[in-house]
Amino acid sequence: MADLTADLGFAKLKNPVIPASGTFGYGEEFLEFYDLDLLGAFVMKGVYRDEREGNPPPRIWETPSGLLNSIGLAGPGAAGLVPVIKDVASKTSTPVIVNVCGGSDAEYLEVAKVFDVMDEVSMLELNISCPNVRAGGSCPAQSVVDTRRVVKLVKENTKKPLIVKLSPNVSDVASIARSAEDSGADAISVVNTFLGLALDVKKRRPVFKNFFAGLSGPAIKPLALKIVWEVACAVKIPVIGIGGIMTGKDVLEFILAGAAAVQTGTVNIVEPTGSVRIINETRELMDELGIKDLKEIRGGLEI
Amino acid sequence: MREEECTIVSNTEIRERYFLMKIRSEYISVNCRPGNFVMISVTGENDPLLKRPFGIFRKEEDCFYIYYEVVGKGSQLLAGKREGDSLMVVGPLGNSFPEYAGKNILMVGGGRGIAPLYFAAEEFSSSNNISLIYGARSKDELLFVEELGNFPLKELALYTDDGSVYKKGSVVTDIRKIIGRNDIKITFSCGPDKMFESLHEEIGGLDVENFVSLEAFMGCGFGICYSCVVKGSNGKYKKVCSDGPVFRMEEIEWQI
Repeated sequence: MADLTADLGFAKLKNPVIPASGTFGYGEEFLEFYDLDLLGAFVMKGVYRDEREGNPPPRIWETPSGLLNSIGLAGPGAAGLVPVIKDVASKTSTPVIVNVCGGSDAEYLEVAKVFDVMDEVSMLELNISCPNVRAGGSCPAQSVVDTRRVVKLVKENTKKPLIVKLSPNVSDVASIARSAEDSGADAISVVNTFLGLALDVKKRRPVFKNFFAGLSGPAIKPLALKIVWEVACAVKIPVIGIGGIMTGKDVLEFILAGAAAVQTGTVNIVEPTGSVRIINETRELMDELGIKDLKEIRGGLEI
Repeated sequence: MREEECTIVSNTEIRERYFLMKIRSEYISVNCRPGNFVMISVTGENDPLLKRPFGIFRKEEDCFYIYYEVVGKGSQLLAGKREGDSLMVVGPLGNSFPEYAGKNILMVGGGRGIAPLYFAAEEFSSSNNISLIYGARSKDELLFVEELGNFPLKELALYTDDGSVYKKGSVVTDIRKIIGRNDIKITFSCGPDKMFESLHEEIGGLDVENFVSLEAFMGCGFGICYSCVVKGSNGKYKKVCSDGPVFRMEEIEWQI
């Protein structure tokens, strides 16, 4: 049977499938659906220092094969998340990743430090790419300078492996990825959602109060796959591919494009057992194609 | 809650645009209570991507029913399903109405909001004194009147907005009188937002415990996407899917 181990260098995951931040709650919501030990790892919903109520509704909008969201990172804040992580980590041996958010450099660092000292947390994912917080969808991951500064600050003051989550809403993602790598990032996760716009013709207004929203789901997969390939070509650190993954075949495509692992997002919302199905499909497809180990095809795109 | 593939036993258009679907699932049938809902994938494909929420209308030994109106793409696709087709279903989801014995309860249903109340009336009417107010826009939208009449109800008051059948008016027209003469201490309601607003205005201040079952556009249905929120009276958002769909009336901010 195929070996699904995903080697990130600083960690070996039992398989490459990691439910993504904001699509998996705090893990505990899935305990009734399946054993979290089946996953490669999972990422907590993004956390700021303080409790946040999130954006006013509507918060989601369905598009053909896609989903626009403007949730606004509602959550309990760093202090509130600590006991939640302790609880869910006591129920699984799967690595827990905390998605660290901030409105300033100081806040990113403060939040990162809270989770850096927790034994229950395996890695930090620095979310410098959420489009739903600032007006116009801007974020640090849209600038080489901002990316370098915040990644360097957090990396120099924390010990855990640091994944930096990048935005697709940039002109040159490779240069941003390189600046994250040069600043000490241990891995890159890409992509966060694509900025999109939904309009209400009757009211002649945008659907979302925040104007732009983030597009996810199978609609973005080809766009994400291209960016993952570009980033994988640009950096030496491992890349975690994200964007519309719905099947085992999608997983192997991202691995082939250079990803060391993947994150599943929207599928967890629309199909609570979807990530486990995807793991099983990946194994079956590898067996069918005679792939013994993911390393065999990682970045192995023949061109 | 579970995610499982279920078989459709029947899908009947009981009146134009209004369907009753019977779905086989022993797990959901055994575990559901009045107020619970299910999420259904109408195609099993990527478009439409989201599952749709449906309140449980009633249950039998190894089946449950949903009652739905064709209002958009999802329900239109569901209407095209046939006996023997399968659906991916997640459920039972959400909380349920509180369960009492020997109480005087008033149920207030507007339009297709009758669905969870039908279930509640069927389950609770033998052990409580249930009165029911049911209203809709017109006679075409006031369904299951005969079936509701077969439950041991203390009072059944029916209204249509246009007066095409029964009394012309809304569910609040006589509500204070009905509460008074039946010595009501508890209400369960489900319907459109406007109905809740007028209910809140009419009976929010009375010495009665009011439970409302809300409808919302949902993403996941089990509390992870944070999209189906309503503003609580404490200023904080509540998730309709996992904090509800049943709330105490005073927990919600009825601005609108």
